[in-house]
Amino acid sequence: MFRMDKNDQAAIRAVLSGDKEAYGALVVRHSAKLFRVAFRITGNEADAEDVVQEAFLRGYRKLESFELRSDFGTWMYRIAVRCALDRISGARINEDSRVGEESDPQQHQVQMADSAAGPERLLLSGEIGAMQEMAMLSLTPTERTAFVLRHMEDCTSEQIATALGIEPNAAKQAVFRAVQKVRRRLAILRVKI
Amino acid sequence: MNHLSEEELVAHAYAEGDNHSVQQHLQACAECAKSYHTLGSDLADMKFAEAPARDAAYGHLVWESIAGSLPAYESRKSWFRGGLWPALSYAAAGMAVVVCAFLGGRLWEHRHAQAVSQNHAQQHEQTAVTLVQRVDVVVLSDHLDRSERLLVELKHADGGNAASPLGDEARRLLPANRFCRQHAKQDDDRALSTALDRLDHLLVELANQPEGLNSQTISRLQDEMNADGLLFEVRVLRSRQAASSTHSKGDTI
Repeated sequence: MFRMDKNDQAAIRAVLSGDKEAYGALVVRHSAKLFRVAFRITGNEADAEDVVQEAFLRGYRKLESFELRSDFGTWMYRIAVRCALDRISGARINEDSRVGEESDPQQHQVQMADSAAGPERLLLSGEIGAMQEMAMLSLTPTERTAFVLRHMEDCTSEQIATALGIEPNAAKQAVFRAVQKVRRRLAILRVKI
Repeated sequence: MNHLSEEELVAHAYAEGDNHSVQQHLQACAECAKSYHTLGSDLADMKFAEAPARDAAYGHLVWESIAGSLPAYESRKSWFRGGLWPALSYAAAGMAVVVCAFLGGRLWEHRHAQAVSQNHAQQHEQTAVTLVQRVDVVVLSDHLDRSERLLVELKHADGGNAASPLGDEARRLLPANRFCRQHAKQDDDRALSTALDRLDHLLVELANQPEGLNSQTISRLQDEMNADGLLFEVRVLRSRQAASSTHSKGDTI
């Protein structure tokens, strides 16, 4: 994903020696990449920006535990994925408290229509992308994150498992369930077209 | 023929699992190939909105937003993060000091013990020599004292009842006289050695009279004693010994 930069190592050593400003160079260097994955997971620009800030704050606090042999970019990438997952999990809790259990697809579909555009309206307006985004909303946070990392970030099951802190087989299952759900949503869409 | 499951098709689409056997099955099974084609189309359609582009200025904005809430790390350069060599150098220097102190202590202790041991041995030796010398002095003084008294009694004896105790005393003095003579010869003390020789002769005469000491024998021995000036000589030696004994005590104290 990323290549360890000697400048990163030097900056980390400087930060741990008391030079706080050296962390600024790391933030500037890796912010854009973290924003991209954060946006793909959260699907929201404002949330993605919050995720990036939270990730760098967590990274700074944990910097003492960082192994200099590791890749700082990869390390921060995992932290950002966790932050994004936390973000959508929190959002999901709030959402569930409003729309009911996610395990009831029919109910969820109806409730989603209340908070966003319905499938028919979307089809009529040709907003296919928006429909896909809505299909993504039917996924659990872990499924959504695993799917984004697999489908958009080209991560392997092992990399997904490491980023999410789960077993590789569980990561593979999460990807499969996500694909299955999205396909069913899109199948409904195709039939109605 | 067992068809491939959706999970296997998804794994194959993402290039995971046993791709070779799945590929062979897809070539042989039209139904699975169709399902796989449909899956591929669906995955290709899953194009989500790309993330808005962010340039380097965005990184600066992120840094400005969080910099104020970050406390600076305390400098620990001299130990772990600053490099392993300085830490190892300090540790090695500390170890060297400890080892040197330990070895120095052991060496000093060893030498000190040797010196103490030598001093003790010398003191023991000197003490032993002093004790032997003091024993010799005491024995000789006692012998001369008793011999003087014997000679005084002999000088005033006239035979009869006084003769028997003189013979007994002479027999008791003979072993001590021989012991003192031997030491006097070893110490090359000629005056003492000569006097003790003459005393030995007189003691033998007094001790070995089968019929006892009669007036004639006592008179003869008195004459010999007076002729040799033996009593006077014993008194001189006794005085000398008394002076020597006093001097020796002073040294010991």
